[in-house]
Amino acid sequence: MSEVTIYIDGQEYRVPANTNLVDVAKFYADNDIPVFCYHPKMAPVGMCRMCLVKMGSVEKNRETGEVVTDENGNPKIRWFPKLQTACTQTVYDGLAIITNSEEVQVARDDIIEFILTSHPLDCPICDKGGECPLQNLTMRHGPGQSVFYYEDKMHLDKHVPLGELIYLDRERCIQCARCTRFCDELVGDDVLAFHERGRRLQIVTISDPPFDTKFSGNTTDICPVGALTTADFRFGARPWELKEVPSLDPYGPEGANISLSTRLDRDAGGRIVIKRVMPRQNEYVNEIWISDKTRFGHHHTRSDERLTKPLIRQNGQLAEASWEEAYQVITDRLRAAKSLGVIAGPNQSNEDLWELKQLASHVENHHLGVFPATMSGGDIVNTVGVGVGTNFLDLKKGDVIVVVASDLEEEAPIWYLRTKVARDRGVKLVLLNARPTKLSKYAKYNLTYAYGDAVSAINSLISAVIGAGKINDEILSRVDGYDELAKSVKKPAYTNFTEAAEAIGDAQNMIVLAGSEGLTLAQQRELMQACANLLIVTGHVGRPNNGLIPVWHGANIQGAYDLGFTAEATEAIYQESLDVVLVAGCNPVGEVVEAEALQNANFVVVTSLFETETTAIADVVLPRQSFAERDGTFTSGERRVQRFYTAQGVIGESLPDWRIFAEIHYRLGGPKPKLSAGAVMAEINKAVPSYAEMRYKKLAEMPRQFPDVGGEDLYYGGTAYQNRGGIGQQTPTVAEDPEARLSVRPVEAMTPKFDGLVVIPTTLLYDRGVLFRRSTLMHQRIPAPHIVINPEDAEAQGITDGDTVAIVVEGHRYEVQVKIDKTLPRGAVLMPRRLSNRPDPSVPTVLESIEKIVQPVPVTEG
Amino acid sequence: MGIINGLLTTIKYALQSPVTIQYPEEERVVRERYKGKHVLRRYDNGLERCIGCSLCAAACPADAIWVEAAENTDDERYSPGERYAKTYEINMLRCIFCGYCEDACPTEAIVLEHEYQLSFTDRRDAIYTKDMLIVPVPEGGLPTPQKVEPGTFDRAIPDMEDPK
Ligand code: SF4
Ligand code: SF4
Ligand code: SF4
Ligand code: FES
Repeated sequence: MSEVTIYIDGQEYRVPANTNLVDVAKFYADNDIPVFCYHPKMAPVGMCRMCLVKMGSVEKNRETGEVVTDENGNPKIRWFPKLQTACTQTVYDGLAIITNSEEVQVARDDIIEFILTSHPLDCPICDKGGECPLQNLTMRHGPGQSVFYYEDKMHLDKHVPLGELIYLDRERCIQCARCTRFCDELVGDDVLAFHERGRRLQIVTISDPPFDTKFSGNTTDICPVGALTTADFRFGARPWELKEVPSLDPYGPEGANISLSTRLDRDAGGRIVIKRVMPRQNEYVNEIWISDKTRFGHHHTRSDERLTKPLIRQNGQLAEASWEEAYQVITDRLRAAKSLGVIAGPNQSNEDLWELKQLASHVENHHLGVFPATMSGGDIVNTVGVGVGTNFLDLKKGDVIVVVASDLEEEAPIWYLRTKVARDRGVKLVLLNARPTKLSKYAKYNLTYAYGDAVSAINSLISAVIGAGKINDEILSRVDGYDELAKSVKKPAYTNFTEAAEAIGDAQNMIVLAGSEGLTLAQQRELMQACANLLIVTGHVGRPNNGLIPVWHGANIQGAYDLGFTAEATEAIYQESLDVVLVAGCNPVGEVVEAEALQNANFVVVTSLFETETTAIADVVLPRQSFAERDGTFTSGERRVQRFYTAQGVIGESLPDWRIFAEIHYRLGGPKPKLSAGAVMAEINKAVPSYAEMRYKKLAEMPRQFPDVGGEDLYYGGTAYQNRGGIGQQTPTVAEDPEARLSVRPVEAMTPKFDGLVVIPTTLLYDRGVLFRRSTLMHQRIPAPHIVINPEDAEAQGITDGDTVAIVVEGHRYEVQVKIDKTLPRGAVLMPRRLSNRPDPSVPTVLESIEKIVQPVPVTEG
Repeated sequence: MGIINGLLTTIKYALQSPVTIQYPEEERVVRERYKGKHVLRRYDNGLERCIGCSLCAAACPADAIWVEAAENTDDERYSPGERYAKTYEINMLRCIFCGYCEDACPTEAIVLEHEYQLSFTDRRDAIYTKDMLIVPVPEGGLPTPQKVEPGTFDRAIPDMEDPK
């Protein structure tokens, strides 16, 4: 990166060119220029004038280009006659600013006084009080006495719900437009807007339902005043009373870094509980953003319905027992076990999985499965996954992001946001899917295939890349099997992919995000291999910002694959009747129809936070701890191993999963249980080569990040928290080793032939999963059980939008609502997972029948 | 000489009237600014002054105060504005009666009064709850929560004066 010389308060600094003045002044000169409307993640607008500085340029000799100096040898500077806004200035060579003169000071004082003419300053009852940019700057610059009349203050509504999640206090708003710009420019959801003008100007929501975005909570962080507050935290505590504990999103594959704000709570019987969830800066992962699911989905940690004691089935009933009794029953049974199936849930930490694996090894015939078993290919990710050091922010103009078979906004909202923002910087987005998704409108190339046909689509793309002569010859010397691959894609199913293929061939960097929508597990695995083929032949592997990212349906599925668990094993567990089944932290029986077979197992052990359909068939139920009560590590889809820390006290007698498994293993003759999760990780470091470097201490390392948010100067980045828990560490991929051979393998499209309508299970962000449904605040956002169908198909079936129908899939009957979507291809019926309290089909399945449920016509008044 | 001076002093004090009183039969009248047990005050209409801001708790050097806030509605209004103290506790064993809480309070809700006769037989009893601290409803006022006209008490901090 080229550098330029700038002068701040007479000091000379070398800073990167083409950067924002406010950012570099802070980062390189430790000079916090006060701002309100400027935010380091958004384009400047220069609306508030808080950032005024004296600005000028160094005089240069026109002929020689040399800096003209005065008699003291200091550079001579030509100052602009008036103060300028720093936030709208990009640094250039010879830029000079003064931030500490009296003139600047007075200007800042005046701006604050002016802002306060219509601000209530009701800090004592304001949720922002204590971490408020305006409050802090008022303390620094505010006049003790104002020359404006108090009576003249504009009084506006103080209690305006913008939807059920966010409340607006119009009086406190200082019209910086950070919230509207965040929704509109960054996320791309045009849901907030300004209404009226001048001092009457107000924020309104212009969407239906109101504030309809999955990122609404972030506006409360970047709002420089207490105008926007969350329904979850409103009046919950004062910020200075909260203890911040670094943690991780327990739901998504992105590994979003969060900070749990904890405090004692009388309503929770005087226990320490999570009062709110805030983002924690990790520029590699989620920057300073989190989805509303992450922010508001924490209530399961304090639910009264949590299991507190082990339960053992006696005479058909689950009855409370001691841990010792439970261990006794389990070990007795495991000693005699003929076969063992283990199903690990989506947020089992690496430590849990490791101990689980050790325990399972005690029974010779065992299977290690993950849940949900929607996706496969963790091993492929370990070969061609994104290189170490990958950061979406580093993708530049001309680079390519490919998203295949995924509705990214619903399945991985942080990756959706980062992809969308990358596209705004000029990254070309290639979208392959069977139906349009929210990302489609940003895609440069929307490539559509028939449902189930994702592999042929990728094969066609490879074919087009070969056709355009864009194969990376350099890498071919390391590649095995290229010729067979080239032969296999000779006759592409789709012939209109040439432009996209050229973009891919020309791109310096390419990331492929592969999902699983509309695919069976076997097809999905083939898709992962096809994506690997594409990445390898175009040379987009083994480097940062290149490679494959799997859109897993859970926080630590990658970790599960790394430690030897697979979705294929889960399918095997469903199919074979096993003697003993151990389900760790998930609810297969309540979520997928295939898991009904678990009832046939002779003995079922379940670790769980709550009573579920799975605990209902269990012989022993063990209370596990949620992510908030313990520490551990998750591995994200980008293979970043990150730590989360203990935030709150233990509920009942619950134990962390790793401890439970280690205790059982110990009683079966295994080693003594470790004393901490860190000690378990030390074992993993020794045993798993790719985790050799993933030591707790290393994972907690915290380099300085740019932009530097979360410090004392809250006005700069908002209330996103400084990262004190570490940014984690990516495991290396095979492709990064320059000696390693890479193999491509032809993959056949396995498009199943269905007659008639096919039910395609999809994943929505907000569902009735065991954990998320405890956050009652979010219930309004969870849709009713429904199917989405093409209008022509609907007409053929005699149903219309809003009807309630009974559908039968694999012999199971569901009552669902009908939503019509004309963008959906014919023949496909989308059925989002986990919306009802019944298990859903987990793979595309033929719709056996659909029939309208005739309901009494509502009497319309009038 | 020294011994005589000493004796004189003794005799002088022996003849003075005693400074001690026969507590508890007799109680001393404290000074106006004496800082004793706290009270939480109300406005004339009975609404609570405390808005649950926790500033007293923040100011307290002994960490004696615990406040948890909740939201007022016009149907169930405890105090003016949006916020009120749902939980308000002072641990009298921790309190050092410095009065910082009184200084910190933006609505003059918490005031240290003259009651000093605090004794407990159990540590738990030393935690005075909101019910024990709040003053009775003044004459003409109503108890809280009150049902009020919307828009009448929507600001928590009493209006300021214009600059002179
Ligand atoms: S927004 Fe800030 S300055 Fe305004 S009332 Fe709230 S805490 Fe005080
Ligand atoms: S008087 Fe002092 S020690 Fe006692 S509660 Fe108030 S601030 Fe705390
Ligand atoms: S007594 Fe005063 S300072 Fe304490 S919470 Fe109530 S209003 Fe705030
Ligand atoms: S004008 Fe520069 S921060 Fe608002």
